[in-house]
Amino acid sequence: MQIYLPIAEIPINIITILMFGLITGFIAGMFGIGGGFLATPLLIFVGIPPAIAVATSTNQIIASSTSGLLIHLRKGNVDIKMGLVLVIGGFFGSFIGIYIFKFLQKTGQIDIAVSIIYVVFLGTIGLNMLINSIKQLLESKYQITWEKEHDSAFARCIAKAKKMPLQVEFPKSQITVSLFVPIILSMLIGVLVVLMGIGGGFLMIPAMISILKMRSEVVTGTSLFQIIFIAANATFLQAMNNNLDIVLAALMILTSAIGSQIGTKTSYKIDTERLRSFLALLILAVCLKMLISLFTDPANIYSLEIIK
Amino acid sequence: MMRFISIIILTFQFFCFATIKTSYANSIISGISTSEIEIDTSFKGAKILLFGAKGYVGNVIVAVRGPKKQFILTKKNELFGIWYNGKRVKLNDSYSYYSLFSTFIDQKIPEQLLSDLELGKNNIDLNFYSADIDKKAIEDFRLYFLDEMQKENLYLSDVEKVDFLNETLFKVMLEFPKNISRGTYSVDIYLIDDGSLISFQSIPIYVKQIGFSAKILNFANQEPLKFGLLAIFIALFTGWFTNLCFCRFFGK
Repeated sequence: MQIYLPIAEIPINIITILMFGLITGFIAGMFGIGGGFLATPLLIFVGIPPAIAVATSTNQIIASSTSGLLIHLRKGNVDIKMGLVLVIGGFFGSFIGIYIFKFLQKTGQIDIAVSIIYVVFLGTIGLNMLINSIKQLLESKYQITWEKEHDSAFARCIAKAKKMPLQVEFPKSQITVSLFVPIILSMLIGVLVVLMGIGGGFLMIPAMISILKMRSEVVTGTSLFQIIFIAANATFLQAMNNNLDIVLAALMILTSAIGSQIGTKTSYKIDTERLRSFLALLILAVCLKMLISLFTDPANIYSLEIIK
Repeated sequence: MMRFISIIILTFQFFCFATIKTSYANSIISGISTSEIEIDTSFKGAKILLFGAKGYVGNVIVAVRGPKKQFILTKKNELFGIWYNGKRVKLNDSYSYYSLFSTFIDQKIPEQLLSDLELGKNNIDLNFYSADIDKKAIEDFRLYFLDEMQKENLYLSDVEKVDFLNETLFKVMLEFPKNISRGTYSVDIYLIDDGSLISFQSIPIYVKQIGFSAKILNFANQEPLKFGLLAIFIALFTGWFTNLCFCRFFGK
């Protein structure tokens, strides 16, 4: 079953796209991430031009995030106040990101710098999360207690930053923190999102857990909440650049919203620690994939892109 | 069916006309079964029949050229074992489709003429644009571009044969792959004899989207703002509606 895509200008198999939507929706709902890291390469793999693949996956993310968010909302597990603060920070961050992007483009070599930064980030975050969740799993299973570690310089720095002025209470997350911390955090992530061209859920969720120390029940829902805004903004900009294929997006949206429902419901059946270690493994897998692609000889050292 | 009948009638009329005319003229005359390719939601590629007649001398060469587009080519470089995107070159105004059909078996055609007429894939004019790049690098980019376009079936790898029904009548089946771009294509028919061009004809083919597909394309191009908002709305609505259905049928 084929359908011709008006913007991408190629026919595509409907069933394949529906399956892609289901899978990415499931992952997105389960972990509270956008899932662009999965959708974009899959679409490119079946022959969709890269620019259109990126635009389409951002549109699809809105649907899967909304679908999952509504479940979390009903259970009261979304910190809307924190979500809005993160949206504002991310918004400014993306503007700064665009400037940095233009500057780096002029000097060249943007790819290598950004890729290395990202791999290092993902690697450290993934490993940290994995170690922590394994420790806690062992703790609860065998009653092992770990020696209390001395606070690292980084942790002390964070603690100090949290005591800065503009203290605000976030009752849903059960934290009181200086407004600067979530704003600066989401700004930095917003910059990286622009430079890497992907959603940033991989960075936001670990930041919510280990830096902001939000109550773990609200992390997934709050992440989905702020992703909707980021994805809507990106979709809009992509449509203005004529990169959005609405037929392709509509197909993916249909099943990714369903996948997200199943994923979110599954996440409530798995305990938080186990879920977190799965996410850590996922992050490490993506990191590994990036490392491999950086270090292996490419099948073709040239690549071709048509400008419409 | 109607189209098929009209092709037969057209072909018949044409052949009657052509046999009379070409018997005393050293020219070439040809026509195509349709001058429009319409892309709808079920488009899988298209075939167009080119037919024509020539005098008793000369070789027929048919070149089909797609609308000119911009391309960007990137080459990966290695630094301490890390692969990254290095040199990028822009390719301005180059054919998005190219295929060639010919009869030249009995005569050798001078390279200069082929090059002037851009016949053969090595003679296609590729306008590379880059500030600092040497000839060798350009040549590598050029070879890669031709290779890649062949893989996409947009450039035909070999020169196909022109079929002859008798000494003067010929036909060529032009095949357009499913991934062709919209725009105006030109079918250029050359008659070459004794190393020089003696007759030339160019027929345009219009490739355009129709129906639902065309409506979406127009909407996206003319009102990107509304288009973007609609895309966001569809996604939000579907997310909400799916959740509603799940609540109703599978419980909370």
